Amino acid sequence: MLMQQLVNGVMIGSVYALTAMGATLIYGILRILDIANAAAYAIGAYLGWYIYSISHNLLLAFLLSMILTGLIGVVIQKYIYYPIISKPNVIPIVPLITSVGLFTITGDLIRLILGPNVKEFGVVFKSGAIKIGKLIINPEWIFIIVLTAVLFAILWFILNKTRLGLAWRATAEDSEIAKAMGVNTNISMALSYILGYGFAASAGIMVGMLYNSISPTMGDIPSYKMLAIIVLGGLGNPVGTVVAGLIIGLAETLVSAYMGSILPRDAIAFIVLIFVLLLKPSGLVSKKSA
Amino acid sequence: MYFTVVAVNVGIFVLLALSLNIIIGYAGQSAMGHAAFFGIGAYTSALMTSTMGISFWISLPVALIVTGIIGAVLGLISIRLKDDFLAITTIGINFVVVAIFQYSEIFGASLGMTVSKPLFFGVKMTAPMYLTLIFILIVLTCLFINKMNKSWFGLALASIRNDEMAASSLGIDVNKYKVLAFTLGTAIAGLTGAVYAHFMTFIYSSDFAFIVSISIISMVVVGGIGTIKGAIFGAVLLGVAPELFRFLADYRMIVYGGLLVLMMRFQPQGLLGDNSFIMRNISKIFANIKKQKGGGQNAGNA
Amino acid sequence: MQEMLRVEKLKMHFGGLKAIDGLDLVVHDKETLGIIGPNGAGKTTLFNCICGVYKPTDGKIFLKDEEVQGKEPFEMARKGVARTFQISKPLRDISILDNVVAALGINEYTGFGSILKKSHKKEIVDKALEIIERTGLKEFKDKKAREVSLGYLRRLEIARALAINPLLIMLDEPCAGLSNFAINEVIDLVMQLKSEGKTIVLIEHNLPISMKVCDRLAVLNFGQKIAEGTPKEIQANPQVIEAYLGEEDDDHVNA
Repeated sequence: MLMQQLVNGVMIGSVYALTAMGATLIYGILRILDIANAAAYAIGAYLGWYIYSISHNLLLAFLLSMILTGLIGVVIQKYIYYPIISKPNVIPIVPLITSVGLFTITGDLIRLILGPNVKEFGVVFKSGAIKIGKLIINPEWIFIIVLTAVLFAILWFILNKTRLGLAWRATAEDSEIAKAMGVNTNISMALSYILGYGFAASAGIMVGMLYNSISPTMGDIPSYKMLAIIVLGGLGNPVGTVVAGLIIGLAETLVSAYMGSILPRDAIAFIVLIFVLLLKPSGLVSKKSA
Repeated sequence: MYFTVVAVNVGIFVLLALSLNIIIGYAGQSAMGHAAFFGIGAYTSALMTSTMGISFWISLPVALIVTGIIGAVLGLISIRLKDDFLAITTIGINFVVVAIFQYSEIFGASLGMTVSKPLFFGVKMTAPMYLTLIFILIVLTCLFINKMNKSWFGLALASIRNDEMAASSLGIDVNKYKVLAFTLGTAIAGLTGAVYAHFMTFIYSSDFAFIVSISIISMVVVGGIGTIKGAIFGAVLLGVAPELFRFLADYRMIVYGGLLVLMMRFQPQGLLGDNSFIMRNISKIFANIKKQKGGGQNAGNA
Repeated sequence: MQEMLRVEKLKMHFGGLKAIDGLDLVVHDKETLGIIGPNGAGKTTLFNCICGVYKPTDGKIFLKDEEVQGKEPFEMARKGVARTFQISKPLRDISILDNVVAALGINEYTGFGSILKKSHKKEIVDKALEIIERTGLKEFKDKKAREVSLGYLRRLEIARALAINPLLIMLDEPCAGLSNFAINEVIDLVMQLKSEGKTIVLIEHNLPISMKVCDRLAVLNFGQKIAEGTPKEIQANPQVIEAYLGEEDDDHVNA
């Protein structure tokens, strides 16, 4: 049924967008493709699971996990990425490899500390699924879509209506000029990481809730898919990222629903990406081609 | 026997690191999906020998050429993309290629492929014979890269790696040379894949997954980007370490990841790279020796 | 006098921005033509059009008598148009000598075949050393390009330009950002090239320098040529004074 697939697609897509948003914000400021964002996704999910299991308060789990993961992000940015990118003549692959290293460490660290097994997330919603005709909407879906919308609204507000957001946009446009104009790029960078890792954390919890499972390897697939989405979205463009996330979410759902398993679901994002890049090398939504 | 098997595996990584180094180190292109081409070579030769019954020795050059051609085509497609875009696209290529192996019946789909043991003058190939073969291939590859570095081709790649606009102002067709570097690097990876498939006698799509690309990149990076000695050293170090430190087996990926982060943070040019702390000390020692001999000349970097 | 380069009704638009808008320009053989104009007048864009970095929106460019607009940068280099960059672009991790050798290889970059041809043959190295000597880089020849100061990088750019044995040398603000001492050295070098009969196009912001070095000046503003003539004529032109000299104070603030 098409309507059901569309709802599924939008929901998955908005989680994707949320996952990739962190990487987009970070790319915008530091020009780093931070694969380790997917580590934040896993860390966030585990923190959320832990906080939920002792407090049984989902909102608290989200908030606290996002803040803690965001702070981890700031530490990583300050002590690992910043020194690397502030050296003269860094080859672009250097920060990328760093993030691959960080990502590898995190996944394995979680496995060693908490065991390799899949854990049940165990969120129970009291109300049952809503049925409209044949369309079934689970309460956790509504929760996820609403929360995603709220997070994006907050992000939009910060970027467009606050001084901090102005600083972010100025730095993303041209960090040298921003610096010369007295914009504090350190704060912009910290903001990118708090928001970026926080968003990834919330996406991790959402996926944990949706599939009722979290595992040390849960960040593997999002890490690559996230890359495809931020590139499709025009690298460093928040609006583009949301659009790209939704497109990938819908494409995956529709392809696997109507075309069966001719293609592995997780390769679709990259196939879309490769085709789009062929047609438009600057991504689906590009700011400007200078 | 155990020693030989480890040595063959390390040798395979040395070849992969050397070949990736042509693309990343010499041409300066962020290719992150090298394992895909390793896999294309492996499956190509496996199809030839095990499905079509063609000799292993014919499948070797065919794997080299087929992978090189596919590498050239994919290179041509992604060549317009720079740095980060190229990195992501090549990661994507890795995923898509592995997905094709995993989902296509002719490649054994999710069951993998059993590869028949090749014959060498009527005798089944043994591990020492593979080791000899790998050793010969490594020597040939090193000679080739050395020749390349002393040629106009090598100078063209060096120019592109440093500054594409400057390179083109010196008459270098940047796109063409990027594709050529891609073709060379992927072709050698394909050849290596062919040897790997027949040595293992069984291949499975995940043997060529992105994580394998990361391992190869780690080797190049840890050893030192853009040098032959660095690529060999990195591959041997990271290839042998897990065997030497068996007790570390459980921490292997942490060690890999940690090494990558530490190297990038403190020594992005690699352990044996240009101006790394090891090479600085070595050239100091050489300078001292020269001084003692009364030469008094400056020690130039190689 | 023979024409080396002719630019006809050149237009280069970026979206709504008309960086160059209907420009005509002629460079004669063996002359030194200065291009001056305020920031954003389209000087570097003009260079990038001539060198093939940008494909012009409209108009024609002739090198000698051949139509060359829209060619690739490497083709323009092979045809004999050498350039330097305003923000110098050395090949950082190879030596000064190798930088010049790389430029001497201009006709050797043929593809796979170039693997078989050794680059540092004796006659090539000798030729490179000769150019290095001429441009005053001798003591740095074994230094990596990233290790030398900006003044020497500017000379390296000129050395590379000479090494491709050009018909036309295009210098994009070779003195920008240099100390007075280094500026004088670069000017001496340009004067030396001039005395050897090279054809030179020079973008130079500093008016006294371009007055001193150039035979003729062309003044650009808003992508159009507003004046052309000998330094003396230009100095007396009221339009130029308004467009260019009036802004000079601002430029100093920016710089």
